[in-house]
This record gives sequence, structure tokens and C-alpha cells, in this order.
Amino acid sequence: MNEAVRQVRFARARRLLTRSGDGTVDTVLAAAVVAMIGFGVVMVYSSSSFEATVRFSDAQYFLKRQAIFAVMSLLAMWLLSRLDYRLLRPLTYPMLIVVIGLLAATVAGFGHRAGNAYRWLALGPIRIQPSELAKVVLVLWLAYSLSKKGERVKSFWVGLVPHLLVVGILMALCLKQPDFGSAVVLFCLTFMLLFVAGVRLPHIGVTVAAFAVAGAALVRFSAYRYGRFLSWMNMSEHRQGLAYQPFQSVMSLGSGGIFGLGLGSGMQVLYLPEAHNDFIAAIVGEELGFVGVVGMCGMYTLIVARGIKVATQAMDDYGAYIAFGISALLAMQVLLNLAVAMAIIPTKGLTLPFISYGGSSLLVSGASIGILLSISRRRQDHQSTSADGGPDSMDDIPESASAVVATAAESGW
Amino acid sequence: MGVLCALLALGLGVVLTGAYNIEVRDGDGWRSLAQRQRTRRLHVTPKRGTIYDRHNTPLAVSVEVPSVSVDAVELLRGIQEEYISMRVQQYATRIAEALHLPVEVVAKKLARHRRFAWLKRRVTTEEVASVRALQNRRQRYPVRGLMIEGEGRRFYPHRSLASSLLGFVAPDGMGKEGIELALDTQLRGRPEEIRGLRDRAGRLIFAEGIQDEAALAGHNVVLTIDQGIQFIAERELEAAVRTHEARSGSIVIVDPSTGEILAMANAPNYNPNDYNVSSAQQRRNRANIDSFEPGSTFKVFAMATALAAKSVRPTDTIYCEEGRMPIDNVVIHDTHPSKWLNPTQIIQISSNIGIAKISLGLGGQKLYDGLRRFGFGTATALPLPGRVAGTLRPRGRPWVPVETAAAAFGQGVSVTNVQLTMALAALANKGRLLEPIIVKKITDSTGIVLHEASPKVRRRVVSPRIARLVAEMMSSVTEGEGTGIEAAIPGFRVAGKTATAQKIDPATGRYNDTHYVASFMGFVPAARPRLAVSVVIDEPMAGTTAGGTVAGPVFRRVVEMSLRYLGVRPRGTRTMNLTKLAKTPKELKGTNAAARLTEPVPVAAYTGRGGVRVPKLQGQAVRSAVQALVEAGLIPVVRGSGRLARTEPPTGTRVARGSKVTLVFEPQT
Repeated sequence: MNEAVRQVRFARARRLLTRSGDGTVDTVLAAAVVAMIGFGVVMVYSSSSFEATVRFSDAQYFLKRQAIFAVMSLLAMWLLSRLDYRLLRPLTYPMLIVVIGLLAATVAGFGHRAGNAYRWLALGPIRIQPSELAKVVLVLWLAYSLSKKGERVKSFWVGLVPHLLVVGILMALCLKQPDFGSAVVLFCLTFMLLFVAGVRLPHIGVTVAAFAVAGAALVRFSAYRYGRFLSWMNMSEHRQGLAYQPFQSVMSLGSGGIFGLGLGSGMQVLYLPEAHNDFIAAIVGEELGFVGVVGMCGMYTLIVARGIKVATQAMDDYGAYIAFGISALLAMQVLLNLAVAMAIIPTKGLTLPFISYGGSSLLVSGASIGILLSISRRRQDHQSTSADGGPDSMDDIPESASAVVATAAESGW
Repeated sequence: MGVLCALLALGLGVVLTGAYNIEVRDGDGWRSLAQRQRTRRLHVTPKRGTIYDRHNTPLAVSVEVPSVSVDAVELLRGIQEEYISMRVQQYATRIAEALHLPVEVVAKKLARHRRFAWLKRRVTTEEVASVRALQNRRQRYPVRGLMIEGEGRRFYPHRSLASSLLGFVAPDGMGKEGIELALDTQLRGRPEEIRGLRDRAGRLIFAEGIQDEAALAGHNVVLTIDQGIQFIAERELEAAVRTHEARSGSIVIVDPSTGEILAMANAPNYNPNDYNVSSAQQRRNRANIDSFEPGSTFKVFAMATALAAKSVRPTDTIYCEEGRMPIDNVVIHDTHPSKWLNPTQIIQISSNIGIAKISLGLGGQKLYDGLRRFGFGTATALPLPGRVAGTLRPRGRPWVPVETAAAAFGQGVSVTNVQLTMALAALANKGRLLEPIIVKKITDSTGIVLHEASPKVRRRVVSPRIARLVAEMMSSVTEGEGTGIEAAIPGFRVAGKTATAQKIDPATGRYNDTHYVASFMGFVPAARPRLAVSVVIDEPMAGTTAGGTVAGPVFRRVVEMSLRYLGVRPRGTRTMNLTKLAKTPKELKGTNAAARLTEPVPVAAYTGRGGVRVPKLQGQAVRSAVQALVEAGLIPVVRGSGRLARTEPPTGTRVARGSKVTLVFEPQT
């Protein structure tokens, strides 16, 4: 290796780190996310002050922590938006291995218990939730794998089986925790990306059916899940028992009415366990009413829509897949969380992105939005101008698939 | 991709529809459900007010005694159906062990699955500790849903003192009988609902707080009763009822200038701290609700009425038929047959024939009106349960002559002891009939006076001149040949009247010769009365049955001690010269010392050189200390409550008989 080559590489790496790329970020998306994180901090305070007072004699206990997490999350977002997302490519497998390791460690008994589940891993004073990380890492890995394979995904053995294998491992580890919600998210995410990448529909259909049967069996033959399912089916009968949380959650939402009781005036925080966490949407509904819920959904729609737009305009397949995966992940988390809060589906342990209390969730969300913003800098329309501009252009990256994604998205959007 | 976006949009639609249904369409229902969930009715009852005597000595106090209840729903939350009966048994065993209850009882209460059930009321300190140990969350299987709440328990520090007047309080906090019942609403505190919030563990949280707990507490009631006088009256009454094997008895003592009832004693009585071992007979406030035929004491009122109507003059003489006078088909007898008597003598030796003739001269209607004016036949306005009017015309028509004659000496009519005492007090109070007062003051728990009684004149019954005249006649009863000589008190003129009323045998409907109501009423000192007292002993059986000899001595002892207690010094012609008395030889000292020989006296308190040493009473209860001090011839001034800490002047100091000694009580630590 000669000096010149090394210098070129070094220069490129420096450019990647120091220069914000060739375009501006999607400011609407960034602003919306910052607003939601701020909103989340407010809601965490409003919903946790009671619990914090009772448990820690400090009404601001959760607020302070959430504020720190928010700042860290914004920092991560800013940092990642300045980095070129393509730097992540070589890190794909290390990340995947680390995440699997962490999940395994959680299951293997190093986990921290909350409720009946071991979902947390204590690293010194910090607790992380590996399943949050797993979702984003899975998106990155799928994007890497699908963009690399290109047209070959149509083949059963190349397009379907390896992906199913990886997601299967992740899901099994999640289910072992147990974290049924995350497993469902991972599963749906995989098939959405496979579908977008052009895996053949019969393959997807058969697998989905198989997984659905397996899932149903899992629910039926696990006493804990079946109990939850039954209590969900007949909520008012189990309102003091297993359906306590969803019942209280619906009661919270209902108490809000159209305009809500006003910020900080919600009373259901007395009853709703994890009010600042998985069920924060219920408190939003109680304190800000239907209007607040609709507004919140509007913001999420905006974020997801901008994310998909980033996907359609991404300059390569890899970026497009990541952008779409992150947007879909976000949309799914939000929908499932809201559906749980409204007792439309049985209880899952899913957080509401940007709003729920929790460092792992907030950091991972911030980081994934950072990646999304980084992709948004390098849009197709900038491609030509920057290509003209000089040695910046990354012409060694394949660009064929992104156009396919773009056309597919435009037809439906 | 479009398909996926559409799917996501569909999801959004589902979620928004759900939100709309829950929040807008069904919002009201959920809201009221949530409201109901978090409001909680309070089981904590406000502290019941204290009942004091006129010197603010507590007669009835409420103390907080912890009680344990259980929220079975909370206890069994999250337990699966098939394990519930097993868990109930396990929890019941542990709880029963901690509270010393039978396991089955606890298990039954838990199995009922209610949000609230008392487990045990009034638990001991050790039981509280073991319940706290069960609740401890640090142990492996803490018991949820157990609650320890302070519950008011009524405590009567003087035990049976004024028990039939005070009444008692049932465990549910309801006042039963007496003042506790009559003033229940005031004592119990404002029934205003306190809205509590509770969290999911059932703990109470107050949004605005109830720091103002004092405002919720019940009002305090100050009675006109004087604990010292009440005590003297009860002790003497009880002794008399026991000595004479009487059925029952009552004493009412009134301050004639204000109408305030200083004592209302009944025998038998009971200990309201243990009310459930007492019978209804023991709890009866006889002075207020038992009506009886008064007998000869009524002559006083008939005489006053006749004198006021000028149908008889004090100087008239009336032929008394030598003890036997037929009216219609009834023959009236006198116990002291006489020929000619003036009105004073008629009262003095209690001539039935004399007063009958006077009342017949007055006329039935006028006598009836006069007695009505004295308050007979009308229930008094005392705020006590049971309003008894007594009867003047039992047949509901004007009297025929024989009934007029009988009414004049108290037969065929009935009165209560309170009525009798108030009418007597009217004679003592220059002819003005006062409203009886038992509640001196009601204050709220912060000390603000809500109600203060003031003397209220019902009417002027007779003129002051007539009242004085009758008082003079009554004074003769305890002098010379009078029937009430045993009620005489050295150093005071006593205006009184005896009565020995035959009772009607319920079997025959006729007066019999074996069952009597012996009574004595009077006021002292006759010229400027401080006390109007009526002693009624029902059915004395042992020995004598005459009012003068049964009730008279009781009257004397009660009044003598009460006057000493009140610090009323003997004055007038009969005051004994102490120096002269000291010089007289011991055996001549006296008739009046002999009268007290029956009283237990702490000998050590006498010095033999005139004057008394303050006895050693440290550590005694209010009641026994007051008793010992009164017996030593000293006047107690009570301060504080609890056990006697010190006296002022201190123990052993030689003081003049009749001086005041302050007893300082302090609560036990």
C-alpha cells in the first residue's frame, strides 16, 4: 500500500467526519423530532411526579433523568446526522454480534428484572434495554444485506432464509425475556423491508402464516400470555387483575374528553402503573384530551412521512432501506403503543418513541433519527451537483436499487 | 411500499378511531368511573367532643384506640382464581395469629372480598406491631390491604360519676342515652364529607389536605354539673339506698339564683366504661324521667298558691279535726293529730287536713293553676332524652273536692325530681321560676363559644314576699317540733319539707302501707339560698320509712359537705364560737361531731390543735383526692387532670379547716 492511497483514504475519512456532506438535513424532520422530545420531557414530568414523590421523595426525579437523556439523545442525533451513514456499513456485523450478545446476556441471567421480565442490562450505573438497540441494528443489518444482494433477494435461499435466521435468533431472545412486543416489531419490520426489497410475495406469505401460527401457539401455551389475552378479551371482568393496566389506561384516556383536564391535572397517575413509561399515551389523552392525541399522531405522521420521503430520495439502496426501516420501526412502535393504551390489542412492553421515559429508548430513537438525517443530506437531486463539484462523490457505491424504491414509493404515496 | 404505507395509514386510522370512541363518545362514562375509583369515603371519624363539668374537669373524653381493617380486594389482587381459597387460608392464618382471632372468622371476612371490613377493633400495642410486621414490604410475602386506623373510644375518667346523666357511646360512635345522646350531633363533629383521594394501593392522599383536623372534631360540652358536689351527692345517695334497702333514689341540686343544675345523682348507677354489663334499670336517669307522687312536699306549693291568692292569711288558724276528716267517702288522716294550727304549723308538722281545708277554700281550679305556674304538669326544657311532664289531672278533668284536697298534699299527682327541685328553687329565688340549665357552654374544638347558657326566668310564680313567707314556714320544719329536724345543719337555717308518700299497689290500685317514697327538699341558707336540693328515696324498706328520717339525713350530709366544698361559711345566730368550742370538754363537744362519726376520716389529717394538715394524696385520682380532702374538712380546687402531682399549700402544711387547697393533677406519663 503506497503513501498516496493512504493519504486519499485519510482525506476521505476526514471529510466524512468534518464536513456535513453535500446537502442540508431535512429541517422539518429535525424540528419535529426535537419538538417531540421536548414534549416528551414535559409529559414525563407530568405523569411521573406523583410516583417520583412516593418512591424517591423527589417530584423531579424522573424529570431530571429524562432531561439528561433528552440532551444525550439530541447530541447523538446531531453527531450521527453529521457523520456519513455509509460509515456504518462495515460496522454492521460487529453491531449485530454485540446486540445478540447483549440479549443473550439479559436472558442468561445478567438481566435486571422489572415486573416479570428481564429486559434490562446493568452496565455499571447505566441500565440499557438491548431489545431497543436490537430493532435499529436489525434495520441496519437488513439494509446492508438487502442492498448487497440486490436482485438476488428473489431467490428463496438467498433472499429469505438468512434474514429469517437472523431475525429468528433475535426474536427468540426477545421472547425469552419475555418481550413479546419487541419480537412482533422485529418480525413485522423484517417482512416490511423484505417486501420493499422485492422478496417474492408467496415466500413472504407462507412465512408470515407460519410465524402467525407459531405466535398463536406461543400465546395459547404460555399461561402468562394466555392470561393476558383472555383478560384483554373480557376486560371489565379482569379489571382488578390482569386487565388492570389497560383498563386504567382506557379510563385515563376517557377522563380526558375532547380537550383534556389540562397539563399536570391528570389524576389517573395514581392508578396507572408505568404511567410515565409504556402508558404515557394514556396520560397524554387524559391531560390533553382527544385534541392532544390527534396532534401527537399528526406529529408522528409528519415524522414518518418525512422519513419515507428521505427513503425515496436516498442516493443509494442502503440509505433507502435504512430510512424506510427506521420510519417503519417508528410508525410501528407508535401504533402498537397507542393501540395498547386504547386496549385495542393486549398489553405489550413497548415504549412510545421520544415521549416515554427511558434512556435506552430515547437514545436509540435519537440515534436512528440522526442516521435518517444523515441520509437526508445526500439526496438524489444533490447527487449531480456534488458529483460535478469534485472529489467528494462516492461513486464506488451502487445506486441501482434506490431508484426502484423511489418509484415504488411514489406510486403509493 | 405503497401497500405498506397504506397499512400504516390504516393503523393510524384504527388508533384515531379508538381514541375518538374512548375520549369523545364514551368519555363521560370513563370519567365518572375514574372519579369513583379515586374518591374514597373516610372511615376516620372526627374526634368526639369532651364533656366537662363546670370547672372544666373532663367527665367524658375520647381517646384514639387503633383498630385494624382489611381491604380484601387489595389483599387478593392478582391471585389467580384457582389459588384464591388457598391464599385466603394462608393469609387468614397469619392475620389471625397476629390479632389473636379465630382463623375461620378472618377467613370468612377475606373470602367475602369486600373493599372494607373491620378485622378487630381496639387492638393492643403488640397487635399493632405484629400487623405492621405483616405489612412490611421487605419480607418475602407482605400482606397487602391491612389498615390500622385510630378509632375514637369513649372514656369516662370518673367511672360511674354522673353516669346516668352522661350516658355512653356505642362502638359505632353513636351516643346512647343522656347527654351523649341528646347532644350527639354537636359532640360528634361536623358530618361534612371529606373527599379523599386514594392511590392504587388504597393509601389516602389528600389534594387539599385536612390539616384543619380540629375543625372537624366534635364540639366540647361544658355542663353545669359540679364534679365535687355530684360526687358528694352520689356517695350519700348510694349509702342511703343501701342502708335503707331502697329500690332507687335520686338527688337534684340546683343553684336557685341561676337555675343551673349542680348535681343530678341517681342510684343505682353504672360504669359507662363498661356499659354492657349494666342493666337499663341502672342506666335510668331517674331524676329526669321517673315521675312519682310527691306527697307532703307539695303542701309547700299549695300553701304558696293559697297565700298568693289571699285565700288564707299567715295568721289564720285552722281546725284540724283531731287527725281525722272525711271528705266525700274518703277519710283523711294526720300523723300528728291536732286541733288548731296556723299555716306555719301546718307545714311544720305536715298536716294533711290543714292543707286540705286551705286548698278546698282556695278551690280546685285555682290550686291547679297555681301548681301549673310552679311548672308542674309541663316537661322541663332540659336537653336530655325523655321529656316527662308528670300529671296533675290524671283523669283529664277538673278535680272533684277530694282530689283537690289530695293534690294539696301530693296525692293523685305526679312530678319528676327535676320539676320538684325547680319549683323549690322558685321559692328560694324570690318567687321566680327559672329554666333549668344543664349545658353551660358548647365550644368548638378551637375554643370558640357556640352556645352559652344564661339564666332564664320562666315566670314570676309568687311575689318575693310570699316566697319569703313560705321559706320562713319551711324553716320551721327543721326546727323545734318539725318533721325534718334531722335535716337541720348546724350553722345554717334550712328551709325544707319532708314527704312520706304512700305508693299505689299496682295489684290493688290502692295506696298501701308498706311501700313509700321518702323525700326531703330544701334550700340553704334559708335567707340567701345557695343550694336547692331534693332527695328522693324510692321504697325504703329497712327500718324507718319516713321522709324526715330517711331523706332528711341524706339532705343534711350532702348540703353540709357541699357548702363546705363551696366555701359557704355558717353565719347568723348559731355560729359556734371556735375558741369557746375548743375550751369545752371533749365529751361535750358534741352532738354535731357525733353526726360525722359515721364518715370515714383519715385520722392522720387531724392535728388536735385546731386546724388540719393537708393530707398526703400524691398519685391519687381526682375523685379519691377530692373525696379525702372534703373529708378532711378542706375545700378542693381542682386543676388539670390525671394523677395528683402536688397540692398548694403542700402536703403536711397546717391550715384552717375549710380553707381552699388547690389540687394540681397531671396526666400520667
